[in-house]
Amino acid sequence: MTAESQPARRGLFGGFRREDLAALVVFLLLAAVPLAISGYVVYILPQYMLLGVLAMSLALLWGYGGIVSFGQAAFFAIGAYAMGLAMKHLIGLPINSAYLGILIGTIGAGLVALLIGYFLFSAGVRAAYFVVATLALSIVVEQTVKSFSDITGGWNGLYVDRMTLTLGSMFELSLFDDAPIYYVVLAVVVPVYIVVAALMRGRFGKIVIGIRENEDRMTALGFNVPLYKTLVFGLSGLLAGVAGAFYATHAQFAHPVNAGVLFSTQVVIWVAIGGRHSLLGAFVGAIVVAALSNYLSSIEAIQSYWPLVMGLIFIAVIVLFRRGLAGLVESLAGKGPHGRVAGH
Amino acid sequence: MAALLVIEGLTKRFRGLVANSDVSFALAAGELRCIIGPNGAGKTTFISMISGHVIPTSGRILFKDRDITRLPVHVRARIGIGRKFQTPTVFDNLSVYENIELAVLATPTPRRGRHAKIMRTLDLVRLADHSGQTVGALAHGARQWLEVGILLAGEAQLLLLDEPTAGMTAEETHSTGELIRRLVRELSLSAIIIEHDINFIRDLKAPVTVLHLGRVLVEGSFAEIERNEQVRSVYLGNA
Ligand SMILES: Nc1ncnc2c1ncn2[C@@H]1O[C@H](COP(=O)(O)OP(=O)(O)O)[C@@H](O)[C@H]1O
Ligand SMILES: [Mg+2]
Repeated sequence: MTAESQPARRGLFGGFRREDLAALVVFLLLAAVPLAISGYVVYILPQYMLLGVLAMSLALLWGYGGIVSFGQAAFFAIGAYAMGLAMKHLIGLPINSAYLGILIGTIGAGLVALLIGYFLFSAGVRAAYFVVATLALSIVVEQTVKSFSDITGGWNGLYVDRMTLTLGSMFELSLFDDAPIYYVVLAVVVPVYIVVAALMRGRFGKIVIGIRENEDRMTALGFNVPLYKTLVFGLSGLLAGVAGAFYATHAQFAHPVNAGVLFSTQVVIWVAIGGRHSLLGAFVGAIVVAALSNYLSSIEAIQSYWPLVMGLIFIAVIVLFRRGLAGLVESLAGKGPHGRVAGH
Repeated sequence: MAALLVIEGLTKRFRGLVANSDVSFALAAGELRCIIGPNGAGKTTFISMISGHVIPTSGRILFKDRDITRLPVHVRARIGIGRKFQTPTVFDNLSVYENIELAVLATPTPRRGRHAKIMRTLDLVRLADHSGQTVGALAHGARQWLEVGILLAGEAQLLLLDEPTAGMTAEETHSTGELIRRLVRELSLSAIIIEHDINFIRDLKAPVTVLHLGRVLVEGSFAEIERNEQVRSVYLGNA
Protein backbone atom coordinates (compact mmCIF):
# COMPACT_ATOMS: atom_id res chain seq x y z
CA MET A 1 0.00 0.00 0.00
CA THR A 2 1.51 3.28 -1.05
CA ALA A 3 1.57 6.43 1.00
CA GLU A 4 -0.78 8.13 -1.44
CA SER A 5 -3.41 5.50 -1.00
CA GLN A 6 -4.00 6.56 2.56
CA PRO A 7 -5.59 9.97 2.12
CA ALA A 8 -7.65 8.53 -0.70
CA ARG A 9 -8.95 5.84 1.59
CA ARG A 10 -9.68 8.06 4.53
CA GLY A 11 -11.29 10.79 2.51
CA LEU A 12 -13.11 8.17 0.56
CA PHE A 13 -16.28 9.60 -0.90
CA GLY A 14 -16.21 12.40 1.62
CA GLY A 15 -16.25 9.98 4.53
CA PHE A 16 -15.14 12.87 6.82
CA ARG A 17 -14.61 10.73 9.90
CA ARG A 18 -14.56 13.84 12.03
CA GLU A 19 -18.26 13.94 11.28
CA ASP A 20 -18.68 11.01 13.67
CA LEU A 21 -17.25 13.12 16.45
CA ALA A 22 -19.39 16.08 15.46
CA ALA A 23 -22.48 13.85 15.47
CA LEU A 24 -21.60 12.57 18.93
CA VAL A 25 -21.33 16.13 20.23
CA VAL A 26 -24.61 17.17 18.62
CA PHE A 27 -26.50 14.21 20.03
CA LEU A 28 -24.97 14.58 23.51
CA LEU A 29 -25.98 18.23 23.50
CA LEU A 30 -29.49 17.32 22.44
CA ALA A 31 -29.65 14.67 25.18
CA ALA A 32 -28.58 17.25 27.77
CA VAL A 33 -31.13 19.92 26.85
CA PRO A 34 -34.07 18.67 28.96
CA LEU A 35 -31.70 18.26 31.95
CA ALA A 36 -30.60 21.87 31.73
CA ILE A 37 -33.75 23.68 30.73
CA SER A 38 -37.47 23.18 30.58
CA GLY A 39 -40.39 24.80 28.88
CA TYR A 40 -40.87 25.72 25.25
CA VAL A 41 -37.47 24.56 24.03
CA VAL A 42 -38.00 21.05 25.36
CA TYR A 43 -41.44 21.09 23.80
CA ILE A 44 -40.36 22.26 20.34
CA LEU A 45 -36.93 20.65 19.80
CA PRO A 46 -38.22 17.15 19.00
CA GLN A 47 -40.26 18.64 16.14
CA TYR A 48 -37.12 20.30 14.79
CA MET A 49 -35.21 17.04 15.14
CA LEU A 50 -37.86 15.30 13.07
CA LEU A 51 -37.60 18.04 10.47
CA GLY A 52 -33.88 17.24 10.65
CA VAL A 53 -34.65 13.63 9.72
CA LEU A 54 -36.78 14.95 6.86
CA ALA A 55 -33.77 17.01 5.76
CA MET A 56 -31.54 13.92 5.92
CA SER A 57 -34.02 12.11 3.70
CA LEU A 58 -33.36 14.73 1.04
CA ALA A 59 -29.61 14.97 1.68
CA LEU A 60 -29.05 11.31 0.93
CA LEU A 61 -30.96 11.69 -2.32
CA TRP A 62 -29.58 15.06 -3.38
CA GLY A 63 -26.10 15.16 -1.88
CA TYR A 64 -25.19 11.55 -2.55
CA GLY A 65 -27.35 10.72 -5.54
CA GLY A 66 -27.48 14.13 -7.21
CA ILE A 67 -31.26 13.76 -7.45
CA VAL A 68 -33.30 16.72 -6.25
CA SER A 69 -36.80 16.09 -4.98
CA PHE A 70 -39.56 18.57 -4.30
CA GLY A 71 -41.71 15.73 -3.06
CA GLN A 72 -40.30 15.15 0.43
CA ALA A 73 -43.32 16.82 2.05
CA ALA A 74 -45.58 14.31 0.34
CA PHE A 75 -43.83 11.39 2.07
CA PHE A 76 -43.75 13.30 5.35
CA ALA A 77 -47.51 13.84 5.05
CA ILE A 78 -48.11 10.18 4.23
CA GLY A 79 -46.34 9.32 7.48
CA ALA A 80 -48.22 11.98 9.43
CA TYR A 81 -51.70 11.12 8.16
CA ALA A 82 -51.08 7.38 8.48
CA MET A 83 -50.15 7.99 12.11
CA GLY A 84 -53.20 10.18 12.77
CA LEU A 85 -55.67 7.90 11.04
CA ALA A 86 -54.25 4.73 12.58
CA MET A 87 -54.43 6.19 16.08
CA LYS A 88 -57.99 7.28 15.45
CA HIS A 89 -59.38 4.22 13.73
CA LEU A 90 -57.20 1.20 14.46
CA ILE A 91 -58.15 1.01 18.11
CA GLY A 92 -59.26 -1.98 20.15
CA LEU A 93 -56.69 -4.20 18.46
CA PRO A 94 -54.22 -6.25 20.46
CA ILE A 95 -51.43 -4.06 19.09
CA ASN A 96 -50.73 -0.42 19.96
CA SER A 97 -52.40 1.72 17.28
CA ALA A 98 -49.50 4.20 17.34
CA TYR A 99 -47.08 1.40 16.46
CA LEU A 100 -49.33 0.46 13.56
CA GLY A 101 -49.41 4.10 12.49
CA ILE A 102 -45.61 4.35 12.53
CA LEU A 103 -45.31 1.08 10.63
CA ILE A 104 -47.93 1.95 8.02
CA GLY A 105 -46.69 5.52 7.63
CA THR A 106 -43.08 4.51 7.22
CA ILE A 107 -43.59 1.52 4.96
CA GLY A 108 -46.36 3.30 3.06
CA ALA A 109 -44.19 6.34 2.32
CA GLY A 110 -41.30 4.05 1.37
CA LEU A 111 -43.47 1.99 -0.97
CA VAL A 112 -44.97 5.04 -2.67
CA ALA A 113 -41.43 6.32 -3.24
CA LEU A 114 -40.27 2.94 -4.55
CA LEU A 115 -43.20 2.76 -6.94
CA ILE A 116 -42.73 6.28 -8.28
CA GLY A 117 -38.98 5.77 -8.48
CA TYR A 118 -39.43 2.52 -10.31
CA PHE A 119 -41.66 4.01 -12.99
CA LEU A 120 -39.63 7.15 -13.49
CA PHE A 121 -36.12 5.72 -13.27
CA SER A 122 -36.67 2.56 -15.26
CA ALA A 123 -38.14 4.77 -17.98
CA GLY A 124 -34.85 6.67 -17.82
CA VAL A 125 -36.33 10.10 -17.14
CA ARG A 126 -34.01 13.07 -17.04
CA ALA A 127 -33.26 14.83 -13.76
CA ALA A 128 -35.34 17.89 -14.66
CA TYR A 129 -38.35 15.78 -15.45
CA PHE A 130 -37.94 13.91 -12.19
CA VAL A 131 -38.01 17.19 -10.26
CA VAL A 132 -41.28 18.10 -11.95
CA ALA A 133 -42.74 14.69 -11.12
CA THR A 134 -41.86 15.08 -7.42
CA LEU A 135 -43.35 18.58 -7.46
CA ALA A 136 -46.55 17.11 -8.88
CA LEU A 137 -46.52 14.48 -6.14
CA SER A 138 -46.50 17.19 -3.46
CA ILE A 139 -49.45 18.87 -5.12
CA VAL A 140 -51.37 15.62 -5.50
CA VAL A 141 -50.92 14.64 -1.84
CA GLU A 142 -51.81 18.13 -0.64
CA GLN A 143 -54.95 18.21 -2.78
CA THR A 144 -55.90 14.71 -1.69
CA VAL A 145 -55.78 15.49 2.01
CA LYS A 146 -57.70 18.70 1.36
CA SER A 147 -60.39 17.00 -0.70
CA PHE A 148 -61.15 14.02 1.49
CA SER A 149 -61.99 16.25 4.42
CA ASP A 150 -64.41 13.69 5.93
CA ILE A 151 -61.44 11.49 6.64
CA THR A 152 -58.52 13.91 6.87
CA GLY A 153 -60.17 16.98 8.32
CA GLY A 154 -59.35 18.98 5.18
CA TRP A 155 -57.99 22.46 5.81
CA ASN A 156 -58.64 22.15 9.53
CA GLY A 157 -56.09 19.40 9.72
CA LEU A 158 -56.35 16.16 11.60
CA TYR A 159 -56.08 16.05 15.36
CA VAL A 160 -53.59 13.40 16.50
CA ASP A 161 -53.15 12.10 20.03
CA ARG A 162 -49.85 11.87 21.78
CA MET A 163 -48.89 8.23 21.59
CA THR A 164 -48.36 5.92 24.55
CA LEU A 165 -45.35 3.67 24.71
CA THR A 166 -46.33 0.09 25.51
CA LEU A 167 -44.67 -3.26 25.79
CA GLY A 168 -47.40 -5.87 25.76
CA SER A 169 -49.36 -5.43 28.98
CA MET A 170 -46.25 -5.23 31.14
CA PHE A 171 -45.21 -1.68 30.47
CA GLU A 172 -46.97 1.54 29.63
CA LEU A 173 -45.61 5.07 29.39
CA SER A 174 -47.66 8.05 28.30
CA LEU A 175 -45.78 10.47 26.10
CA PHE A 176 -48.13 13.28 26.92
CA ASP A 177 -45.47 15.23 28.78
CA ASP A 178 -42.70 16.94 26.89
CA ALA A 179 -39.66 15.27 28.44
CA PRO A 180 -40.64 11.61 27.80
CA ILE A 181 -41.53 12.24 24.15
CA TYR A 182 -38.37 14.31 23.77
CA TYR A 183 -36.26 11.28 24.66
CA VAL A 184 -38.36 8.89 22.60
CA VAL A 185 -37.88 11.10 19.55
CA LEU A 186 -34.15 11.34 20.28
CA ALA A 187 -34.03 7.55 20.64
CA VAL A 188 -35.51 7.27 17.17
CA VAL A 189 -33.42 9.99 15.52
CA VAL A 190 -30.01 8.76 16.72
CA PRO A 191 -30.26 5.17 15.43
CA VAL A 192 -31.80 6.45 12.19
CA TYR A 193 -28.78 8.71 11.72
CA ILE A 194 -26.30 5.96 12.60
CA VAL A 195 -27.85 3.41 10.26
CA VAL A 196 -28.24 5.80 7.34
CA ALA A 197 -24.73 7.24 7.82
CA ALA A 198 -23.24 3.74 7.87
CA LEU A 199 -25.23 2.72 4.82
CA MET A 200 -24.15 5.76 2.83
CA ARG A 201 -20.53 5.28 3.85
CA GLY A 202 -20.54 1.66 2.75
CA ARG A 203 -20.96 -0.07 -0.59
CA PHE A 204 -24.46 1.27 -1.20
CA GLY A 205 -23.49 4.91 -0.63
CA LYS A 206 -20.41 4.60 -2.82
CA ILE A 207 -22.47 3.16 -5.64
CA VAL A 208 -24.98 6.00 -5.31
CA ILE A 209 -22.11 8.51 -5.48
CA GLY A 210 -20.72 6.69 -8.51
CA ILE A 211 -24.08 7.08 -10.22
CA ARG A 212 -24.12 10.78 -9.41
CA GLU A 213 -20.63 11.11 -10.88
CA ASN A 214 -21.00 9.05 -14.04
CA GLU A 215 -24.05 7.01 -14.85
CA ASP A 216 -22.70 5.65 -18.13
CA ARG A 217 -19.59 4.30 -16.46
CA MET A 218 -21.59 2.68 -13.66
CA THR A 219 -23.87 0.96 -16.19
CA ALA A 220 -20.89 -0.20 -18.23
CA LEU A 221 -19.43 -1.63 -15.01
CA GLY A 222 -22.50 -3.77 -14.51
CA PHE A 223 -24.52 -1.75 -12.02
CA ASN A 224 -28.26 -1.61 -12.54
CA VAL A 225 -28.48 2.18 -12.30
CA PRO A 226 -32.30 2.55 -12.30
CA LEU A 227 -32.51 -0.04 -9.52
CA TYR A 228 -30.09 1.86 -7.28
CA LYS A 229 -31.82 5.16 -7.97
CA THR A 230 -35.14 3.56 -7.11
CA LEU A 231 -33.71 2.14 -3.88
CA VAL A 232 -32.21 5.43 -2.74
CA PHE A 233 -35.47 7.23 -3.50
CA GLY A 234 -37.39 4.54 -1.62
CA LEU A 235 -35.09 4.93 1.37
CA SER A 236 -35.54 8.67 1.19
CA GLY A 237 -39.34 8.31 1.19
CA LEU A 238 -39.16 5.88 4.10
CA LEU A 239 -37.13 8.32 6.21
CA ALA A 240 -39.48 11.19 5.43
CA GLY A 241 -42.36 8.88 6.42
CA VAL A 242 -40.85 8.06 9.84
CA ALA A 243 -40.27 11.73 10.46
CA GLY A 244 -43.88 12.54 9.54
CA ALA A 245 -45.36 9.83 11.74
CA PHE A 246 -43.53 10.98 14.86
CA TYR A 247 -44.05 14.63 14.00
CA ALA A 248 -47.83 14.14 13.87
CA THR A 249 -48.06 12.58 17.32
CA HIS A 250 -45.70 15.16 18.77
CA ALA A 251 -47.33 18.23 17.21
CA GLN A 252 -50.73 16.58 17.74
CA PHE A 253 -51.89 17.33 14.25
CA ALA A 254 -51.41 16.46 10.62
CA HIS A 255 -52.03 19.33 8.27
CA PRO A 256 -52.12 19.88 4.47
CA VAL A 257 -49.38 22.53 4.72
CA ASN A 258 -47.02 19.72 5.66
CA ALA A 259 -47.80 18.03 2.34
CA GLY A 260 -47.39 20.89 -0.07
CA VAL A 261 -44.86 22.31 -2.48
CA LEU A 262 -44.00 25.16 -0.13
CA PHE A 263 -43.01 22.79 2.65
CA SER A 264 -41.06 20.63 0.19
CA THR A 265 -39.21 23.75 -0.91
CA GLN A 266 -38.35 24.56 2.70
CA VAL A 267 -36.76 21.14 3.01
CA VAL A 268 -34.62 21.90 -0.03
CA ILE A 269 -33.57 25.19 1.59
CA TRP A 270 -32.64 23.58 4.93
CA VAL A 271 -30.52 21.02 3.14
CA ALA A 272 -28.83 23.60 0.92
CA ILE A 273 -27.99 25.67 4.00
CA GLY A 274 -26.90 22.73 6.15
CA GLY A 275 -24.89 21.12 3.38
CA ARG A 276 -26.34 18.48 1.13
CA HIS A 277 -23.22 16.31 1.14
CA SER A 278 -23.44 15.78 4.88
CA LEU A 279 -26.29 13.99 6.62
CA LEU A 280 -25.35 15.68 9.89
CA GLY A 281 -25.13 19.07 8.14
CA ALA A 282 -28.64 18.63 6.76
CA PHE A 283 -29.93 17.53 10.17
CA VAL A 284 -28.42 20.48 12.01
CA GLY A 285 -29.30 22.85 9.15
CA ALA A 286 -32.97 21.96 9.48
CA ILE A 287 -32.95 22.47 13.24
CA VAL A 288 -31.16 25.82 13.03
CA VAL A 289 -33.19 27.22 10.16
CA ALA A 290 -36.51 25.98 11.52
CA ALA A 291 -35.72 27.43 14.95
CA LEU A 292 -34.50 30.71 13.52
CA SER A 293 -37.44 30.96 11.21
CA ASN A 294 -39.85 30.26 14.05
CA TYR A 295 -38.18 32.87 16.25
CA LEU A 296 -37.82 35.61 13.66
CA SER A 297 -41.32 35.20 12.31
CA SER A 298 -42.65 35.74 15.83
CA ILE A 299 -41.04 39.19 15.97
CA GLU A 300 -43.69 41.54 14.73
CA ALA A 301 -41.38 44.05 13.05
CA ILE A 302 -40.00 41.58 10.56
CA GLN A 303 -42.86 39.14 10.43
CA SER A 304 -44.01 40.10 6.97
CA TYR A 305 -40.51 40.28 5.55
CA TRP A 306 -39.50 36.90 6.90
CA PRO A 307 -39.94 34.88 3.69
CA LEU A 308 -37.82 37.50 1.92
CA VAL A 309 -35.09 37.31 4.59
CA MET A 310 -35.17 33.55 4.33
CA GLY A 311 -34.80 33.74 0.55
CA LEU A 312 -31.83 36.09 0.85
CA ILE A 313 -30.09 33.82 3.36
CA PHE A 314 -30.67 30.93 1.01
CA ILE A 315 -29.14 32.78 -1.94
CA ALA A 316 -26.21 33.97 0.18
CA VAL A 317 -25.41 30.44 1.33
CA ILE A 318 -25.67 29.03 -2.18
CA VAL A 319 -23.37 31.73 -3.53
CA LEU A 320 -20.87 31.91 -0.66
CA PHE A 321 -20.65 28.32 0.53
CA ARG A 322 -21.85 25.90 -2.04
CA ARG A 323 -21.35 23.07 0.40
CA GLY A 324 -23.46 24.66 3.09
CA LEU A 325 -22.67 24.97 6.79
CA ALA A 326 -21.14 21.49 6.84
CA GLY A 327 -18.72 22.54 4.09
CA LEU A 328 -17.88 25.69 6.02
CA VAL A 329 -17.16 23.72 9.19
CA GLU A 330 -15.01 21.29 7.21
CA SER A 331 -12.88 24.03 5.71
CA LEU A 332 -12.56 25.77 9.09
CA ALA A 333 -11.48 22.45 10.56
CA GLY A 334 -8.68 22.41 8.01
CA LYS A 335 -10.02 19.92 5.54
CA GLY A 336 -10.57 21.98 2.44
CA PRO A 337 -13.60 21.21 0.35
CA HIS A 338 -12.17 18.65 -2.02
CA GLY A 339 -13.62 18.49 -5.46
CA ARG A 340 -14.45 14.86 -5.16
CA VAL A 341 -17.37 15.26 -2.83
CA ALA A 342 -18.30 18.66 -4.08
CA GLY A 343 -18.89 17.35 -7.57
CA HIS A 344 -22.41 16.64 -8.53
CA MET B 1 -9.12 -22.38 -29.13
CA ALA B 2 -12.83 -22.16 -28.45
CA ALA B 3 -14.67 -19.14 -29.78
CA LEU B 4 -15.47 -16.62 -27.06
CA LEU B 5 -17.48 -14.32 -29.27
CA VAL B 6 -19.38 -15.26 -32.40
CA ILE B 7 -21.20 -12.70 -34.49
CA GLU B 8 -23.52 -13.69 -37.30
CA GLY B 9 -24.89 -11.38 -39.96
CA LEU B 10 -25.00 -8.26 -37.80
CA THR B 11 -26.77 -5.29 -39.37
CA LYS B 12 -27.55 -1.90 -37.90
CA ARG B 13 -29.57 0.77 -39.64
CA PHE B 14 -29.95 4.25 -38.20
CA ARG B 15 -33.07 5.38 -40.02
CA GLY B 16 -31.87 5.25 -43.62
CA LEU B 17 -28.19 4.93 -42.86
CA VAL B 18 -26.64 1.47 -42.78
CA ALA B 19 -23.87 1.65 -40.15
CA ASN B 20 -23.14 -2.10 -40.13
CA SER B 21 -24.20 -4.50 -42.83
CA ASP B 22 -24.17 -8.30 -42.50
CA VAL B 23 -21.02 -8.40 -40.38
CA SER B 24 -19.87 -11.86 -39.31
CA PHE B 25 -16.98 -12.19 -36.94
CA ALA B 26 -15.40 -14.59 -34.47
CA LEU B 27 -12.96 -14.08 -31.65
CA ALA B 28 -11.18 -16.90 -29.85
CA ALA B 29 -10.65 -16.90 -26.09
CA GLY B 30 -7.34 -15.16 -25.41
CA GLU B 31 -7.29 -13.50 -28.82
CA LEU B 32 -6.33 -9.93 -29.53
CA ARG B 33 -7.95 -8.35 -32.59
CA CYS B 34 -7.55 -5.00 -34.20
CA ILE B 35 -10.33 -3.25 -36.09
CA ILE B 36 -9.43 -0.55 -38.53
CA GLY B 37 -11.31 1.43 -41.12
CA PRO B 38 -11.85 5.01 -42.22
CA ASN B 39 -13.98 7.39 -40.18
CA GLY B 40 -17.63 6.47 -40.33
CA ALA B 41 -16.84 2.86 -41.31
CA GLY B 42 -19.00 1.61 -38.47
CA LYS B 43 -16.30 0.53 -35.99
CA THR B 44 -17.84 2.21 -32.93
CA THR B 45 -21.29 0.97 -33.90
CA PHE B 46 -19.89 -2.56 -34.13
CA ILE B 47 -18.48 -2.64 -30.61
CA SER B 48 -21.54 -0.79 -29.31
CA MET B 49 -23.61 -3.73 -30.43
CA ILE B 50 -21.30 -6.08 -28.53
CA SER B 51 -21.45 -3.95 -25.37
CA GLY B 52 -25.21 -3.45 -25.64
CA HIS B 53 -25.21 0.31 -26.20
CA VAL B 54 -26.70 -0.23 -29.65
CA ILE B 55 -29.24 -2.96 -30.38
CA PRO B 56 -28.79 -4.49 -33.85
CA THR B 57 -31.47 -4.31 -36.51
CA SER B 58 -30.77 -7.96 -37.32
CA GLY B 59 -28.18 -10.65 -36.69
CA ARG B 60 -26.95 -12.51 -33.61
CA ILE B 61 -24.22 -12.07 -31.02
CA LEU B 62 -23.08 -15.09 -29.00
CA PHE B 63 -20.76 -14.64 -26.02
CA LYS B 64 -19.56 -17.85 -24.38
CA ASP B 65 -22.25 -19.65 -26.40
CA ARG B 66 -24.97 -17.47 -24.91
CA ASP B 67 -27.16 -15.28 -27.12
CA ILE B 68 -26.63 -11.75 -25.82
CA THR B 69 -28.02 -9.85 -28.82
CA ARG B 70 -30.65 -8.02 -26.81
CA LEU B 71 -29.31 -8.06 -23.26
CA PRO B 72 -29.00 -4.69 -21.48
CA VAL B 73 -25.55 -3.13 -21.04
CA HIS B 74 -25.20 -3.82 -17.31
CA VAL B 75 -26.00 -7.51 -17.70
CA ARG B 76 -23.37 -7.90 -20.42
CA ALA B 77 -20.88 -6.13 -18.19
CA ARG B 78 -21.59 -8.61 -15.43
CA ILE B 79 -20.87 -11.60 -17.65
CA GLY B 80 -17.48 -10.17 -18.57
CA ILE B 81 -17.80 -7.62 -21.37
CA GLY B 82 -15.90 -4.44 -20.53
CA ARG B 83 -16.00 -1.37 -22.72
CA LYS B 84 -13.63 1.55 -22.96
CA PHE B 85 -15.28 4.47 -24.71
CA GLN B 86 -13.85 6.64 -27.45
CA THR B 87 -13.98 9.60 -25.07
CA PRO B 88 -12.65 8.36 -21.71
CA THR B 89 -15.56 7.63 -19.41
CA VAL B 90 -14.24 7.74 -15.85
CA PHE B 91 -15.20 9.46 -12.59
CA ASP B 92 -13.48 12.83 -12.99
CA ASN B 93 -14.34 14.16 -9.53
CA LEU B 94 -13.17 11.07 -7.69
CA SER B 95 -9.63 9.95 -6.95
CA VAL B 96 -7.82 7.31 -8.98
CA TYR B 97 -8.23 4.93 -6.06
CA GLU B 98 -11.96 5.57 -5.81
CA ASN B 99 -12.39 5.00 -9.54
CA ILE B 100 -10.90 1.55 -9.25
CA GLU B 101 -12.78 0.91 -6.02
CA LEU B 102 -16.12 1.45 -7.75
CA ALA B 103 -15.11 -1.10 -10.37
CA VAL B 104 -14.19 -3.57 -7.63
CA LEU B 105 -17.57 -2.97 -5.98
CA ALA B 106 -19.17 -4.26 -9.18
CA THR B 107 -17.55 -7.64 -8.54
CA PRO B 108 -18.27 -10.11 -5.75
CA THR B 109 -14.91 -9.35 -4.07
CA PRO B 110 -15.32 -9.63 -0.27
CA ARG B 111 -14.74 -6.43 1.69
CA ARG B 112 -11.40 -7.59 3.08
CA GLY B 113 -9.99 -8.33 -0.35
CA ARG B 114 -10.93 -5.01 -1.94
CA HIS B 115 -7.98 -2.85 -0.99
CA ALA B 116 -5.44 -5.42 -2.17
CA LYS B 117 -7.29 -5.85 -5.44
CA ILE B 118 -7.41 -2.09 -6.01
CA MET B 119 -3.68 -1.76 -5.39
CA ARG B 120 -2.91 -4.72 -7.64
CA THR B 121 -4.90 -3.13 -10.44
CA LEU B 122 -3.22 0.23 -9.90
CA ASP B 123 0.14 -1.51 -10.20
CA LEU B 124 -0.91 -3.22 -13.43
CA VAL B 125 -1.81 0.07 -15.11
CA ARG B 126 1.09 1.88 -13.40
CA LEU B 127 -1.07 4.38 -11.55
CA ALA B 128 -0.18 3.35 -8.00
CA ASP B 129 1.76 6.57 -7.50
CA HIS B 130 -1.30 8.61 -8.43
CA SER B 131 -3.86 6.77 -6.32
CA GLY B 132 -4.84 9.82 -4.25
CA GLN B 133 -5.02 12.18 -7.20
CA THR B 134 -8.31 13.51 -8.54
CA VAL B 135 -8.85 12.02 -11.99
CA GLY B 136 -9.87 15.28 -13.64
CA ALA B 137 -6.31 16.52 -13.09
CA LEU B 138 -4.63 13.49 -14.69
CA ALA B 139 -2.83 13.69 -18.02
CA HIS B 140 -4.75 12.41 -21.01
CA GLY B 141 -2.75 9.20 -21.32
CA ALA B 142 -3.17 8.37 -17.64
CA ARG B 143 -6.94 8.75 -17.93
CA GLN B 144 -6.98 6.24 -20.78
CA TRP B 145 -4.97 3.81 -18.66
CA LEU B 146 -7.25 4.37 -15.73
CA GLU B 147 -10.22 3.36 -17.85
CA VAL B 148 -8.39 0.17 -18.82
CA GLY B 149 -7.71 -0.37 -15.10
CA ILE B 150 -11.42 0.05 -14.39
CA LEU B 151 -12.20 -2.71 -16.87
CA LEU B 152 -9.59 -5.00 -15.28
CA ALA B 153 -10.83 -4.35 -11.74
CA GLY B 154 -14.37 -5.00 -12.98
CA GLU B 155 -13.18 -8.46 -14.05
CA ALA B 156 -13.90 -8.01 -17.73
CA GLN B 157 -12.83 -10.98 -19.85
CA LEU B 158 -13.44 -9.34 -23.18
CA LEU B 159 -12.06 -5.81 -23.49
CA LEU B 160 -13.65 -3.57 -26.11
CA LEU B 161 -11.24 -0.68 -26.56
CA ASP B 162 -12.38 2.20 -28.74
CA GLU B 163 -9.30 4.19 -29.80
CA PRO B 164 -7.36 3.70 -26.55
CA THR B 165 -4.41 5.79 -27.72
CA ALA B 166 -6.37 8.83 -28.91
CA GLY B 167 -4.55 11.96 -27.81
CA MET B 168 -1.40 10.15 -26.71
CA THR B 169 2.19 10.97 -27.56
CA ALA B 170 4.10 8.45 -29.69
CA GLU B 171 5.83 7.16 -26.59
CA GLU B 172 2.60 6.76 -24.63
CA THR B 173 1.03 5.03 -27.62
CA HIS B 174 3.90 2.58 -27.69
CA SER B 175 3.69 1.73 -23.99
CA THR B 176 -0.09 1.40 -24.24
CA GLY B 177 0.45 -1.26 -26.89
CA GLU B 178 2.89 -3.06 -24.61
CA LEU B 179 0.45 -2.82 -21.71
CA ILE B 180 -2.44 -4.26 -23.68
CA ARG B 181 -0.36 -7.14 -25.03
CA ARG B 182 0.95 -7.91 -21.57
CA LEU B 183 -2.51 -7.81 -19.98
CA VAL B 184 -4.04 -10.06 -22.60
CA ARG B 185 -1.20 -12.53 -22.19
CA GLU B 186 -0.82 -12.51 -18.40
CA LEU B 187 -4.48 -12.31 -17.44
CA SER B 188 -5.62 -14.46 -20.40
CA LEU B 189 -8.08 -11.82 -21.56
CA SER B 190 -9.45 -11.20 -25.02
CA ALA B 191 -9.60 -7.80 -26.62
CA ILE B 192 -11.00 -6.00 -29.63
CA ILE B 193 -9.16 -2.76 -30.30
CA ILE B 194 -10.24 -0.01 -32.66
CA GLU B 195 -7.21 1.96 -33.78
CA HIS B 196 -5.89 4.41 -36.34
CA ASP B 197 -2.21 4.58 -35.44
CA ILE B 198 -0.38 2.40 -37.96
CA ASN B 199 2.69 1.89 -35.77
CA PHE B 200 0.53 0.82 -32.85
CA ILE B 201 -1.29 -1.71 -35.01
CA ARG B 202 1.94 -3.10 -36.40
CA ASP B 203 3.39 -3.47 -32.88
CA LEU B 204 0.34 -5.35 -31.61
CA LYS B 205 1.13 -8.24 -33.98
CA ALA B 206 -2.55 -9.12 -33.89
CA PRO B 207 -4.95 -10.13 -36.67
CA VAL B 208 -6.69 -7.17 -38.26
CA THR B 209 -10.29 -6.79 -39.45
CA VAL B 210 -10.90 -3.94 -41.86
CA LEU B 211 -14.35 -2.37 -41.88
CA HIS B 212 -15.45 -0.21 -44.77
CA LEU B 213 -18.92 1.26 -45.31
CA GLY B 214 -20.24 -1.00 -42.55
CA ARG B 215 -18.94 -4.21 -44.11
CA VAL B 216 -15.95 -6.43 -43.44
CA LEU B 217 -13.61 -5.59 -46.28
CA VAL B 218 -10.87 -8.05 -45.41
CA GLU B 219 -9.37 -9.90 -42.44
CA GLY B 220 -5.78 -11.05 -41.98
CA SER B 221 -2.40 -10.43 -40.46
CA PHE B 222 -0.98 -6.93 -40.44
CA ALA B 223 1.40 -7.83 -43.28
CA GLU B 224 -1.44 -9.13 -45.43
CA ILE B 225 -3.57 -6.08 -44.73
CA GLU B 226 -0.70 -3.75 -45.51
CA ARG B 227 -0.24 -5.36 -48.93
CA ASN B 228 -3.94 -5.57 -49.75
CA GLU B 229 -4.90 -3.46 -52.78
CA GLN B 230 -8.48 -2.85 -51.64
CA VAL B 231 -7.33 -1.60 -48.26
CA ARG B 232 -4.79 0.67 -49.87
CA SER B 233 -7.35 2.21 -52.17
CA VAL B 234 -9.84 2.72 -49.31
CA TYR B 235 -7.24 4.53 -47.24
CA LEU B 236 -5.74 6.47 -50.11
CA GLY B 237 -9.22 7.41 -51.25
CA ASN B 238 -9.94 8.80 -47.80
CA ALA B 239 -6.57 10.33 -47.05
N1 LIG C 1 -26.67 6.88 -32.80
C1 LIG C 1 -26.54 7.12 -34.14
N2 LIG C 1 -27.57 7.64 -34.84
C2 LIG C 1 -27.47 7.87 -36.16
N3 LIG C 1 -26.37 7.61 -36.89
C3 LIG C 1 -25.31 7.08 -36.24
C4 LIG C 1 -25.34 6.82 -34.83
N4 LIG C 1 -24.14 6.29 -34.47
C5 LIG C 1 -23.40 6.23 -35.61
N5 LIG C 1 -24.09 6.72 -36.66
C6 LIG C 1 -23.60 6.78 -38.05
O1 LIG C 1 -23.17 5.50 -38.41
C7 LIG C 1 -21.98 5.57 -39.18
C8 LIG C 1 -20.87 4.77 -38.52
O2 LIG C 1 -20.46 5.47 -37.35
P1 LIG C 1 -19.39 4.90 -36.33
O3 LIG C 1 -19.79 3.52 -35.96
O4 LIG C 1 -19.27 5.87 -35.22
O5 LIG C 1 -18.08 4.89 -37.22
P2 LIG C 1 -16.54 4.84 -36.80
O6 LIG C 1 -16.44 4.54 -35.36
O7 LIG C 1 -15.98 3.78 -37.67
O8 LIG C 1 -15.96 6.17 -37.15
C9 LIG C 1 -21.64 7.05 -39.33
O9 LIG C 1 -22.16 7.50 -40.57
C10 LIG C 1 -22.40 7.67 -38.19
O10 LIG C 1 -22.77 9.00 -38.48
MG1 LIG D 1 -15.59 5.62 -33.72
